[in-house]
Amino acid sequence: MNGAPSRTSTNTPRVRAGAAALIAAGGLAVSAVSAHAQNAAVQPPLVAAPVANGDSVDTVHDPLQGFNRGSFGFSMGLDHAVLRPVAHGYMAVTPSPLRRRVSAVVYNLGEPSTTVNDILQGKPKRAGRSSARFLINSTVGVLGLWDVATGMGLKAHDADFGQTFGRYGVRPGPYLYVPVIGPSSFRDGVGRVLDFFTDPVGIVGGGYTTTFGATRLGVQTVDTRARADTAFRALDDATDPYVTARSAYGQYREAFVREATGEVQALPDFDNDTSVAPAAASTQPAPASPETAPAPSTTQ
Amino acid sequence: MIDARPTRRFAQLALVALVGVGALSQAHPAFAQAARDPQAEQFVQTRAQRVITVLADKNQSVAQKKATFHQAIDELADVPKVTNFVLGKYARSITPDQRQRFAAAFRVYAESVYQNRINDYHGEVLKVTGSTVRKPGDVIVNTTISGGQVGQPLPLAWRVMGGGTSWKVVDVQFKGVWLAITQQQDFVSTIDNAGGNIDVLIGQLQRDAQRSASR
Repeated sequence: MNGAPSRTSTNTPRVRAGAAALIAAGGLAVSAVSAHAQNAAVQPPLVAAPVANGDSVDTVHDPLQGFNRGSFGFSMGLDHAVLRPVAHGYMAVTPSPLRRRVSAVVYNLGEPSTTVNDILQGKPKRAGRSSARFLINSTVGVLGLWDVATGMGLKAHDADFGQTFGRYGVRPGPYLYVPVIGPSSFRDGVGRVLDFFTDPVGIVGGGYTTTFGATRLGVQTVDTRARADTAFRALDDATDPYVTARSAYGQYREAFVREATGEVQALPDFDNDTSVAPAAASTQPAPASPETAPAPSTTQ
Repeated sequence: MIDARPTRRFAQLALVALVGVGALSQAHPAFAQAARDPQAEQFVQTRAQRVITVLADKNQSVAQKKATFHQAIDELADVPKVTNFVLGKYARSITPDQRQRFAAAFRVYAESVYQNRINDYHGEVLKVTGSTVRKPGDVIVNTTISGGQVGQPLPLAWRVMGGGTSWKVVDVQFKGVWLAITQQQDFVSTIDNAGGNIDVLIGQLQRDAQRSASR
């Protein structure tokens, strides 16, 4: 709790910088759909059985789209102006092996928070794994610089409060693009706040008001943005970048929750008649699929 | 001083115990796998590896890579199926003329964009780690990409359809995000926002492909 950026302190500028950086890092951590947990080798559970869903996919529930689109535009503008140049500068002056060491340290400091959530999810083996990883990599791996634990068969995995809620059946709720903070949902938004206040490293390290905390946050911000660079570039290629980010975020988070629940993903059907007989007026659905009813809620 | 040794021993024991717990949790896969499909796996191993090898080849010029990718995509992916899928609900209302123009624009767009995406991984070696048969002829093949500039091996899943020795990729997944599904939502939203006018999307794809190619 002592890590709250709003805490009164004699050193106001530092607190303010910490708060700003926190927000920035928070935004990155979620907008970087593919970047979060780059080191984690655990694959989300894939499909074991078909749950055909017509030729379209349910998308994220987005009743606040007007607000969200404005927020997205603003945040992307800010990224272009500030974070992207910083991240590109960082990538230009550091070789990738060095950046990987930085990422490893950042990732290692997140392991205790993973352990907290593993425990809350009732998964002692995963908790054992993440805490063993933290102990080994912090010592033998020299403060997390090297991920020696993976070499010992202790593969990385992630956990956060959004996933913990999902594990107990909480749905994501409406999609929310928080200005600067990035894509989220009602469930994951609450989760992020709890992640912040329960992060053992944040608590022990004195939050973002200390030199350690502020440095960690700054490094994490740049590291995350750099690793997310390909995801950001993918957005540039999209015809509707807002929807692409929303779709990717929703899929990523649901896959992450399925990792905890063990559920199987419902995938859309590629086998529609329209695909085999393009010219035909066609479209009797395959016997197994539901009516080719208009795609339920593809977008708004 | 007297207490130091037992404490250290305890710490060592605790470490061993923790490692033990961690190692145990590795012992069994979290999800009992349904049937695998060796032929689908073989297809991905061969074809996808070929594409990755081409893109990682430093001796080839950008133009050469483009040409090879253009050719390889037909062997790897079911282009007609994907083209239809990404239109979502509009696949049913599109006119034959629009379909033709869309297919041409999407092809050019997808080639340049997907080449960039695969290039982003900078990987060199693809290894099949398993597969899951969703239903006969519809298989998810799990792979990892490593080597090159990749630190930890990246998990990548391929959805392939077909049978026997004849397979084609319809979708690719990284970190839970499926490429074609995301593309469909992107396109359908763009058409929705244009009041259902598919020509607007076609025009945008043509512009994007030019932009992407010039990068």
